[in-house]
Amino acid sequence: MIKFSNVSLVYPTSTQTILEGLTFSIEEGEMVLVIGSTGTGKSSLLRLINGLVPHHTGGILAGDVSVDGISTQLVRPGELAHLIGIVGQNPSSGFVTDTVEEELVFSMESLNVAPDVMRKRVEEILDLLALAPLRSRAISTLSGGEQQRLAIGSALVMHPKILVLDEPTSALDPIAAEEVLSIIHRLVHDLSLTVVIAEHRLERVIGFADRVIHIAGDGQAKIDLPENILKCSDIAPPIVHLSRALKLDQLGLSVREVRRMTEDVRRDGIDKPEVSKGPTPLAISVKGATIAYGSHLALRGVDAFVHEGEIVALMGRNGAGKSSLLQSIVGVNQLDKGEISLFAQAPMSLKGALRRATVGYIPQEPSDLLYAQSVIQECAQADKDNGITSGTTIAILQELVPSISPKTHPRDLSEGQRLALALAVVLSAQPRALILDEPTRGLDYQSKSLLIEILKNFASNLGKCVVIATHDVELVAELADRVIFLSEGEVVADGPTLDILLASPAFAPQVAKVMAPRRWLTVKDVMQSLGQEIDKP
Amino acid sequence: MNYLTKDIYRFSGRSRVALLLVSITVFAGFTWPFYVQSESSADFAQYFFWAAVPASIFLLITQLSDSGLDAKSVALLGTLAALLAALRPLGAGAVGLEPMWFLLILAARVFGSAFGFLLGVLGMLASALLTGGFGPWLAYQLFAAGLVGLFAGSFPAKIRGRAEIFLLVFIAVIASLIFGLLMDLQFWPWALGGDTQLSYLPGAPILENLNRFITFHFLSSMAWDIPRAVLTSTLIVVTAPAVLAALRRTRTKAAFLTPVEFSARLK
Repeated sequence: MIKFSNVSLVYPTSTQTILEGLTFSIEEGEMVLVIGSTGTGKSSLLRLINGLVPHHTGGILAGDVSVDGISTQLVRPGELAHLIGIVGQNPSSGFVTDTVEEELVFSMESLNVAPDVMRKRVEEILDLLALAPLRSRAISTLSGGEQQRLAIGSALVMHPKILVLDEPTSALDPIAAEEVLSIIHRLVHDLSLTVVIAEHRLERVIGFADRVIHIAGDGQAKIDLPENILKCSDIAPPIVHLSRALKLDQLGLSVREVRRMTEDVRRDGIDKPEVSKGPTPLAISVKGATIAYGSHLALRGVDAFVHEGEIVALMGRNGAGKSSLLQSIVGVNQLDKGEISLFAQAPMSLKGALRRATVGYIPQEPSDLLYAQSVIQECAQADKDNGITSGTTIAILQELVPSISPKTHPRDLSEGQRLALALAVVLSAQPRALILDEPTRGLDYQSKSLLIEILKNFASNLGKCVVIATHDVELVAELADRVIFLSEGEVVADGPTLDILLASPAFAPQVAKVMAPRRWLTVKDVMQSLGQEIDKP
Repeated sequence: MNYLTKDIYRFSGRSRVALLLVSITVFAGFTWPFYVQSESSADFAQYFFWAAVPASIFLLITQLSDSGLDAKSVALLGTLAALLAALRPLGAGAVGLEPMWFLLILAARVFGSAFGFLLGVLGMLASALLTGGFGPWLAYQLFAAGLVGLFAGSFPAKIRGRAEIFLLVFIAVIASLIFGLLMDLQFWPWALGGDTQLSYLPGAPILENLNRFITFHFLSSMAWDIPRAVLTSTLIVVTAPAVLAALRRTRTKAAFLTPVEFSARLK
């Protein structure tokens, strides 16, 4: 269905080869996963399939890409629209109309499909993607998972033979992600659709993939069965790390497989004694916080406490009130009722330098903090604002990501680099509390472990507190001391990470699922219980 | 096989000719009060140009958009035109304070004169839809806004930094005044009724009418064109560095006129 023969790609503005000598073919009805660190060319590979690269971006394409027997050299991307459906990273930026039904019809209208055919197809897609109850809803009122399903739906109405998805689950909570992936899985099996999908969160998708394309940083790429690729790849889900650390004969990709192979570990492991930290002073206290947006209550009488030196994770569905709570702690949102104290001060009353030195906040979209025209300007501004020696911020940044080029425009950075820049700017003020909203969307494993290291150091060595809202259970398992679980604006659970994560299977990390009923969350926990260290690869 | 990705709109030979022909029609439409001979032919000219000017402008737009606009240019044109349309009512239109001109001038400066012309026409058209400003004057407004874009985009791209801001302020002042002059010209014959000292006199000598018009224009421009020039220049001085940087980045990102090359293997 898709055939790459000896494909190399160079963009016009750089001399670096993005892909080099790539040869593979994807059969009809295959689901192929593309993995690789940020900036290695996953998106370029996906866009080569329908010819957007190089027809729209410019560049030199050597070799040949052909789709269903048509070479992308000879036709414009528009002429492949009926053959290839493409869904971008952020579904909401691709919508053109206001309601679900109109959105589904839009692409067919552009392709001049007859009205009676359109009517049939809309019904078919509504059923296929379980969108029927939403058909007349405004798109802006849909949840993240629903939007993603709609984006897939509007790509599928044209009956493409190939569906290309760029990080379809990065903004979704675990349940919504599951919903989207199982629908894609069904499409592959029922309609024999060919699916190419790029994703960072391997733990979510690896079980569905038939084959994996691994792009290494140097333009080289391999395609093989998931087991073979993951055996030696640096990018791997926690479950693979577990198999490797335990030196299992075979690589298990699903919880079931690994459970079967690790019976003795569950039997022999010894729980480590729980160390409780001594009490530390209260840093943040929230009492009876209530916020209403119109008639909708975002928070209903939330009580929460964070102590110094503690890392607290805020979890819950999309729209549960996590961001509202964070924003009112930072003092961006006014509470309707209740009070918040931040180191014994009201957050709204803090101004200027005092505010920056008290609380650092990184919103969901880190670029909201970045205004300058280049990385170096941004850092210089931070130095000036905080009255510190010039060069401090850029030094922090270079420690976080050494490869960053100071002249780049902040919006041209990758997700991870942008987060690092925002983090460096915020940390340069040396705040006493750090608040992060969904920091890991779009981050690869490498940047994620770097983030974990920085935050742990920030909390335990400097005695400062961190509050983080996230969907990423693996991150919470590695990082957080305590979890507060929100639902419909109320706190439904508040307790040590171990208790909360193990209480619900949907939110349990992979390792915990394998090791249940033992109370181990991470590979490190498992190895400690066996009295072993993890071998560094 | 090598080629370049499509550019944002650029005038082709044919569209230059079309633009010239339409300009002549519209120029005649603007200036008819000076050359008609009698009251009855003035009546005829008035109604004739009400129909002729819009018709020729719409013909021009179809000719222009027929060739050379690809998806990226259409998206850019559409977004900027929508922004202009949204900005125009913000000033409520009173005494010429319409905060759309600065963006038109900056966009035309970055994307060139042909794009500026189309953007001016489309932005004005879209804002008329929003404000309900439809009427015989609309076609004249469209063309005048197009001219502002055309003018703003026709200076050398090499000028940068502080000199560029000065240039843009110069463009803003000239554009504001010329737009005012053209609109007055269109408006003047029926604005004042028949019997004031400044009214249009059908069939009178050119000098007499010109004299009356210039006095009329001077008075009205005090109230409309000067505030418009001041507002536009101020907005340009304040926003130009940021807006120009954003627009130029868009142009780089959109990769207009970037070489596309297919080869058997990498050299």
